[in-house]
Amino acid sequence: MKKQILLSLGLSTLLATSCVDSLDDYNVDPKSPTTAPGATFVSNAERNLVRTINSANINTNPFRYYVQYWAATDYPQESRYQINTRSINTNYWNPLYRDVLRDLKEAKDVIATDINISEDVKANQLASAEVLEVFTWATLVETFGNVPYTQALDISVPQPAYDDQKVIYDDLIKRLDAAIAQFKPSAAGLGSADLINGGSTSLWIKFANSLKLRMALTIADVNDSQAKTMVASVAGKVLSSNADIIDLTFISTFPNTNPLFEDLVRSGRNDFVGTSFFIDKLKALQDPRLSQYFNPVTEGGTTYTGGEYGVTNAYTDFSTPSDKLKEPTLPGVVMSYSQVEFMLAEAVARGYSVSGTVEEHYNAAVKASIMEWGGSSSAADTYLAQPAVAYATAPGATYKEKIGTQKWIALYNQPTEAYKEWRRLDSPKLTKPSTAVSDIPLRYTYPVAEQSVNGANYSAAAAAIGGDQVTTALFWDKFRQ
Amino acid sequence: MKRSYLLIFLLFFTALLQQAVAQDRSISGRVTDAANNQSLPGVTVLVKGTTIGTSTNADGGYTLSLPASATTLTFSSIGYLSVDRPISGSNVDVALSADTKQLSEVVVTAQNVERTRNSLAYAATVIEGDKITVARNPNAINGLAGKVAGLNVRQNNVMGGSTNVTIRGTKSLFGNNQALFVVDGIPISNANTNTSGQVTGGGGYDYGNAAADVNPDDVASMTVLKGAAATALYGERAANGVILITTKKGRKGLGVTINAGITGGRVDKSTFIKYQKEYGGGYGPTFASTDVDGDGVRDRVVRLSHDASAGPRFDPNLLVFQSDAFTPGNPNFGRATPWVAAQNDPSSFFQDAVTLNNSIAINGGNDNGYFKLGYNSIRDRGILPNSNVNKNIVNFAGSLNLTPRLTTSASVNFSQVDGKGRYGTGYSGAYGDNPMTNFRQWWQTNVDIKEQKAAYEYQKQNASWNLSSPTNRVPQYWNNPYFNRYQNYETDSRYRTFGNVVTTYKFADWFNVLGRVTLDSYDEIQEERLAVGSVGVPAYSRYNRTAREANFDLIGNFKATITEGISFNGLLGANMRREQASWIRSQTNGGLVVPGLYSLSNSRDPLNPPSPGVNEAEQRRAVDGIYANANFGYRDMVFLELTARRDKSSTLPEANNTFFYPSIATNFVFSELPALKELSWLSYGKARINYAEVGQGAPIQSVYNVYDKPTGFGSIPLFSVAGTRNNADLKPERTKSAEAGVEMAFFRSRLGFDATVYQQRTIDQIIPVNVSTATGYNARYINSGELRNRGIELSMFGSPIKTADFTWTINANWTKNVNRVVSLYGTGDERVTNILLANYQGGVTGNATVGRPFGTIRGYDFVYLNGQKVVGSDGYYLQSEKADEEIANPNPDWTGGISNTFAYKGISLYFLLDIRKGGQVFSLDRAYGLDTGLPDETAGLNDLGNPSRNTIANGGGIIFPGVQEDGSPNTVRADNSTEEGYTAYGTTVNPSAAFVYDASFVKLRELALNYAIPQSLVSKWGPVKGAEVSIVGRNLWIIHKNLPDADPEDAVSSGNYGLGYSTGSYPSVRTLGVNVKLSF
Repeated sequence: MKKQILLSLGLSTLLATSCVDSLDDYNVDPKSPTTAPGATFVSNAERNLVRTINSANINTNPFRYYVQYWAATDYPQESRYQINTRSINTNYWNPLYRDVLRDLKEAKDVIATDINISEDVKANQLASAEVLEVFTWATLVETFGNVPYTQALDISVPQPAYDDQKVIYDDLIKRLDAAIAQFKPSAAGLGSADLINGGSTSLWIKFANSLKLRMALTIADVNDSQAKTMVASVAGKVLSSNADIIDLTFISTFPNTNPLFEDLVRSGRNDFVGTSFFIDKLKALQDPRLSQYFNPVTEGGTTYTGGEYGVTNAYTDFSTPSDKLKEPTLPGVVMSYSQVEFMLAEAVARGYSVSGTVEEHYNAAVKASIMEWGGSSSAADTYLAQPAVAYATAPGATYKEKIGTQKWIALYNQPTEAYKEWRRLDSPKLTKPSTAVSDIPLRYTYPVAEQSVNGANYSAAAAAIGGDQVTTALFWDKFRQ
Repeated sequence: MKRSYLLIFLLFFTALLQQAVAQDRSISGRVTDAANNQSLPGVTVLVKGTTIGTSTNADGGYTLSLPASATTLTFSSIGYLSVDRPISGSNVDVALSADTKQLSEVVVTAQNVERTRNSLAYAATVIEGDKITVARNPNAINGLAGKVAGLNVRQNNVMGGSTNVTIRGTKSLFGNNQALFVVDGIPISNANTNTSGQVTGGGGYDYGNAAADVNPDDVASMTVLKGAAATALYGERAANGVILITTKKGRKGLGVTINAGITGGRVDKSTFIKYQKEYGGGYGPTFASTDVDGDGVRDRVVRLSHDASAGPRFDPNLLVFQSDAFTPGNPNFGRATPWVAAQNDPSSFFQDAVTLNNSIAINGGNDNGYFKLGYNSIRDRGILPNSNVNKNIVNFAGSLNLTPRLTTSASVNFSQVDGKGRYGTGYSGAYGDNPMTNFRQWWQTNVDIKEQKAAYEYQKQNASWNLSSPTNRVPQYWNNPYFNRYQNYETDSRYRTFGNVVTTYKFADWFNVLGRVTLDSYDEIQEERLAVGSVGVPAYSRYNRTAREANFDLIGNFKATITEGISFNGLLGANMRREQASWIRSQTNGGLVVPGLYSLSNSRDPLNPPSPGVNEAEQRRAVDGIYANANFGYRDMVFLELTARRDKSSTLPEANNTFFYPSIATNFVFSELPALKELSWLSYGKARINYAEVGQGAPIQSVYNVYDKPTGFGSIPLFSVAGTRNNADLKPERTKSAEAGVEMAFFRSRLGFDATVYQQRTIDQIIPVNVSTATGYNARYINSGELRNRGIELSMFGSPIKTADFTWTINANWTKNVNRVVSLYGTGDERVTNILLANYQGGVTGNATVGRPFGTIRGYDFVYLNGQKVVGSDGYYLQSEKADEEIANPNPDWTGGISNTFAYKGISLYFLLDIRKGGQVFSLDRAYGLDTGLPDETAGLNDLGNPSRNTIANGGGIIFPGVQEDGSPNTVRADNSTEEGYTAYGTTVNPSAAFVYDASFVKLRELALNYAIPQSLVSKWGPVKGAEVSIVGRNLWIIHKNLPDADPEDAVSSGNYGLGYSTGSYPSVRTLGVNVKLSF
């Protein structure tokens, strides 16, 4: 009988020790994918990029406050430049690194090893992802300054060092040149997975060159000769009509609606009204975009009134963001043709080799903007004929002031670009509210988490840029208004 | 595999049958305590001169088969004098007298092995069932609060909410820290299935936790095994300590016990906000000016959209259009009314809670076995309108001695918990606003809550006080609270079955084998609603979850006397554990088509597929363990215990999936020393010391990397790299624990204490450590970091008075646990000194910082100069530069409990004080509520005798205590005029540290006045054998606390997060009731 006992105990012991090893699949999540087509990561990156730079969510993107398009209704803290209580900087930084750059990296890795894609198509897909990546890095540098770059996107370096913003920018320009050279104009690209350009290689080439133009002007105040060379190289290759607009058309079902719809409609909240500063300006210029940008104070009315920036405003007493902005399918703009024309105008004014006059490009830019927002060509002409608008007579001592003001008006629904261009062109003149907790921010401070999870590198970066303050100017921001 | 098991069982039963044939004559009887005639369980009954014997069951009964040669039985039990009785007839009953030299206790230890207290080399606290149910707590787990040193029971004030049960502190940074519950050998989960948002205070419902599914009236005792040495046999989950629940057994004859009780509960007003009554709604002291009645003249209108009371000063002479003027059905519809504070503030929102707690237990048995059947019905109505949780528990168990050697038993516990209208918790969520967030943070003091009730009842619509504007009467931020309760309610139900089948075969007197199969299985559904008309997108969501855990155990028990004076007990066991859980959560998209229809098909837009791995998940875990235990005793005086267990866990990579861990423990009953045995004042003395290690596997599915699958962009699929990087090189976590203790009793055991010191270090923690998101990830799983707990536990008992009629007994316990994050990960420049655990609303975070306790809260601090808070030139406090300063440590300095029982004849009075000293809590309720001008201190007079909310020019403002930047006492009056929309007290102008409070409390936790109706009376009532009437109370009085307007104990959920963070806090409920207990 003892044998039986020992046998049964022994047997069960054996069983117990042999079972688990055969159960390695218990570690496999049977509901989640482990492989996916490379282009699908680009789709995701495009979606997240466009959402982040265009969002109106005050937890992510308060730039419509910073350039004083909008004022707050009941909760003015963010319009007073409070950043940390809602981790706004974190919520801007995280998706760009994690949901855009990391996915673009994955896309490139997967596409590069996909044997089912022809070499030319592969080249276009990789170049498209690279252009998006450069755009995203540029946005990060223009928002924060020094950021982790060479050591970033590598989980084996959990505490990546920050790189110098100027060095990053130079490298991005090189990468952009390489990407432009990589495109095969006659071959297809990402196809329908490309939510922005629908797989159009020619559009990607135009976008890449326009991005180069944009980056050139960004550094123009600090490196005129490099900017000049860059601008010369893109002549005739940039966006050339409103049809070329680089944008992502959202769809009508959540969660792929325009983020503005989510914050203005879906949330059920009434957080924003136009500022008197902006609306008074539009009114003074009899700007045809006023009714496209804002709703009248009362439905069906014709009165447009802006609220005071930096304080609380009654939602019903003022003009609110227009119904156009509340459309779930409103495209999110990455780069507009109008913006490109403004850049060309500026390039001419800087004496760079661009065909046409400042005025021609200025007029084309304003006209493109008005038409982009549904205005007619004649309405644009009427508008431009006004002395306060016409380039020659518009107020402003410098091209920066003249172009800056109209560009500010035109970039209404491109808040990230508007905020950067305000800092670069120092126009229009903005005044911080008396309730502000700081001067008007010139950058975002680093996410609080960087202090705790990447402390040594954070401190070095903060010291390198002259302090992790919102008032620390970035390398290209040479002049102050 | 199945076939092999069958083979084993066949072998088993063959062996059993062989034995069953050889039956001898048998004897039975009952053993009682000579002092009080009560049954004595666990008494050893031996045939004198042999090793043949048994022990008595819970009712003191025993049955023993006798060899032909037997003549005398020896009855012995720890704490009693042994007795020899000759065998005559088939029944021998014995009454044992107490041996005052020893403590009388048999302790159920790991794997349900019954052991004498003498032989235990570790801390084990036994709480009898009647001590748990004394105050008729409907949650058996909550009945432990304040009663056991080292055990932390953190309950919240939400009806049916979850209870956090930890033993000796937080050990795992991210893993499970909940004690393991084992009911008659069945491990049951205490996990909650609340959303990640809910547990960090982000809103949602608290669905309670699963260990509450135990019938409190079925509990015979709970043994709290604290250290790893006591629990190592339970395997990897034992690092958190084990609460062993032993349920009641049947007894000879037939017994019926009925408990019928009703309790009522009322909000403790000291834990709810006290409003100021001087200023009404608005962000700023002005009214809106609109022509409401169309007479061409602008009218005064309260700023309807403003959810604050930083508005204009009340003045009964001012006529103002308020929300009632825009609420159809209200008598004031279309009328301006005097500007005064509401007659009924939100404290009138609460209703009285009612709980009906009824149970019946039937048991019976004879020499061959017993059965029991229990039913417990708990009907709970909460303090919020339209809230209830109903619980039905049926349990059955039976045991049969098939032969004198073969015993088989089975038990099944079936429970059904149905909730409707559970309370919304936390700050905000997609579903069901938390009315406390509304009332404590965002409210207009001019709004009459009873008018809100009438407004809802008028047409059952969302007639809110918080309208967008006089013309746009859509609610702005807040629903009508009654609409919210009656339309946006959740429903849920959990069906749970757990049970076991146990067969024990005694091969010989020195050896038996136990085979056990246990199963815990539950299905739950949670449905949440947001009605059409609510703020936000109307929605319906449902969550279905099934979870199963099966355990197969085979345990051989050995018992022998090696030589004279040296005894041996041991066991050898194998355990297979299989867990499986799957769930799916889905919700409507873009709104509901048909109002009031809550189904997924009623979604306005197409449904989005549930995200894989998160909302559609399938998780499995397998752990196989083998273990051995040996306990050597020398003359009942010195004991040495060794255990070893080896586990293989499927959650680890194959190369690292096997882990072995040992324990060693020894104790010395020094009162057995001849020299001490003679001391009359020393009744008992024991010293013990032990060391143990326990390994722990990884979270499920943390080895291999997968992609996220976001909702497709229309027909375009999206994929994304997951935010957490998994790790194919994970190895087990390890807890190393050491403990030493002394137990002594004096003066015939009238006074005694138990003192323990311990240290537990958990190393190689498996943590999804946050990394710089510049890596492209939020976190990655690694093995690193050490968390240490050191502590002291003291228990004391005493009977200051003990006469024939009157006794007074005191039990007290005291615990000090010091928790410290010893290291995280990385070295040198890469050394990480802080890990973010949770991001909370209000700009504060929960952290693990090297050198600090777990869960410290960071945010903006004051600026100090020579220990004084520095005030800036505007009169407001200066704030630290970064929001990264430690502002609160949520861990208490110590906790304790004192219970007193006074018994006079049949009457007894019992009360329990539950004490917590220290620990801090950040109150978001205060941070926002003070900002919006709700609490009374935001108004009133300043040092000049003027209303503080006057402008500075008008003599208002307040001088905050502190110094100016030059060190001189502050004399600058800070503006409190609310002209910028906030007061001087709130979060806008104060650092987060201003809302940190000491979380100490002293609570009268339980009170029971019990009257046992004298036997002389009862005997006239026919079949009734006993009757008791009790008046019970719980949480009747918070004797001391420092957190204003809230209960410092209230937390949003159970689990590792939310420590020291209070938002939308529910008031404490004082409960008082009557219970009648009848036994037949």
